[in-house]
Amino acid sequence: MSKSFSLQLNGDSAVDIRFDEDPSEPLSKIIIGLQRSFESAIADNQWPEIRELIPAYQCLTLCYDPLLLTSADGVSTAKLRPSLSFMEKLRGFVQQKLSTKNLTDLAIQIRTPELVQIPVCYENEYATDLDDVCAHTGLSREKVIALHSAPKYLVYMLGFSPGFLYLGGLHQKIHCPRKQHPTLRVAAGSVGIGGAQTGIYPQATPGGWQIIGRTPLTLFNPLREYPFVAHPLDRIQFVPITASEFTALKRENTNHLLAVTTRKK
Amino acid sequence: MLRVVKAGLQTSIQDAGRPGWMRYGIARGGVADPVAMMLANKLLGNPPAHPCLEIALTGPDIEFECDLSIAVCGARFAMKLNGQEVENDSVIQVKKGDQLGFGPLQSGARAYLALAADMQITSVFGSQSTHLQTGFGGLHGRALKAGDEIQLCNNHQSRGSRLPDKYRLRYTGRPQLRVIAGAEASYLSQSTRAEFYRTTFEVTPQSNRMGIRLKGAVLDTSTLPQMTSSGLRPGTIQVPPGGQPIIAFVEGQTIGGYPRLAHVIEADQHILGQLKARDRANFELIELEDAHRIQREKLNRLQSLQQTQP
Repeated sequence: MSKSFSLQLNGDSAVDIRFDEDPSEPLSKIIIGLQRSFESAIADNQWPEIRELIPAYQCLTLCYDPLLLTSADGVSTAKLRPSLSFMEKLRGFVQQKLSTKNLTDLAIQIRTPELVQIPVCYENEYATDLDDVCAHTGLSREKVIALHSAPKYLVYMLGFSPGFLYLGGLHQKIHCPRKQHPTLRVAAGSVGIGGAQTGIYPQATPGGWQIIGRTPLTLFNPLREYPFVAHPLDRIQFVPITASEFTALKRENTNHLLAVTTRKK
Repeated sequence: MLRVVKAGLQTSIQDAGRPGWMRYGIARGGVADPVAMMLANKLLGNPPAHPCLEIALTGPDIEFECDLSIAVCGARFAMKLNGQEVENDSVIQVKKGDQLGFGPLQSGARAYLALAADMQITSVFGSQSTHLQTGFGGLHGRALKAGDEIQLCNNHQSRGSRLPDKYRLRYTGRPQLRVIAGAEASYLSQSTRAEFYRTTFEVTPQSNRMGIRLKGAVLDTSTLPQMTSSGLRPGTIQVPPGGQPIIAFVEGQTIGGYPRLAHVIEADQHILGQLKARDRANFELIELEDAHRIQREKLNRLQSLQQTQP
């Protein structure tokens, strides 16, 4: 099995390694597997020009230093056609990795995906747009909450802002368009629906998603050993809690600066 | 120690930022104009990315509680030390009790105040930069306020020095920014692409460290496909449905979903840090190899300055 891919410039210091297929868990395993392969090679000093890697739904963005480009034979090609040699080296590496049998396993070998349970209060003051979602979908509050908290959402990638998780698996029945006019300030921890996506706002920001709940967890804490609550390929499940449970957990978090997550395999 | 007497609009501690964390949603951040930062640090014999203060649009009044040397590069303000005019681009000797005021902005948008001292600020993810959008790093994760005190150590005087004239930064407010084509550019009609490169865009007041929002010809986006979100690099010129381009900047979101028309080349991105409302920008399309060559040339020019400086 050799997957086809294309290389696309993403500015003059990055390249997207793109796959022309819909987002899916198998594709993400390939993308994360490829990311791990690069990281391993970087640790071996094979890619001095690479600055960082950014996985996304259908591509892996590889950021490089234009002044450190190397070619396949390892020689600095600053004087020749450096970007061409670099692209050839890149293509060769990706092709080779994609044809190895255990690329998709690589992603989960390095780190076994976890199930991360995130407590969410779907009650009144925390669910400012739940009624609008009910009106749009024709479903009751209980039904919306049930549909939202049932799935084990796949984490495709982190990004946008620190700790934001891109999740897949929102039930089609509760897809709901973004607001025409974004709210000026969405509270940190707000859980929302925007189109076919669901997620959590890690920080208070303007936001256009329909807010249906809030988590007391801190999604991003630079002081924690792992500052975020999940990794790509993990699964997220939202667990409904009451308003008083929310208050209790919130207080606990403030005291200990730790996220309270229950991890189950 | 230095004390903030008056804060200015957005004065914050910055260095070269924290690269390598985009896959977690953390933008590199750091100084919006790395060239100005490097020149100010070079004057003092500091490492090029030594933490400094980034000063935007309205400057602060700062009181120094120790003797040290300082230097300011980048935007020009009517600066005064104890009421006496002082200039950008040269070492300024400061004595305990001296007060530096920034006065009205004359050109550019951001000035960099480098210190011959270390600020006693905790690093977060390896950098002292303030991530203003999220609120971490620097001093309490925010812009400086009146009354703030920054503890300094290793403060010293460095020898008097000034930048040779050809290195003194000047800003017209009308830059021509070189770009390479974006992935979705080919989906735009030929005439829309031509319109983009013909247009002089105006920088709107909604611009900030996250992104530079432009106003000008409304580009026809009807031919653009739905884009799936992917890594968004600074300098990327996106076109949202409204047809007005936005240039992703140092604290921009790390994943973006708008079509990418072009990317400001890395070598010209420092110019973005000196744009302010009502400035006008044009774009010039070049090839990737040229972009890399320009970057090498700019770096060589900066390095040859380091060789001539003592």
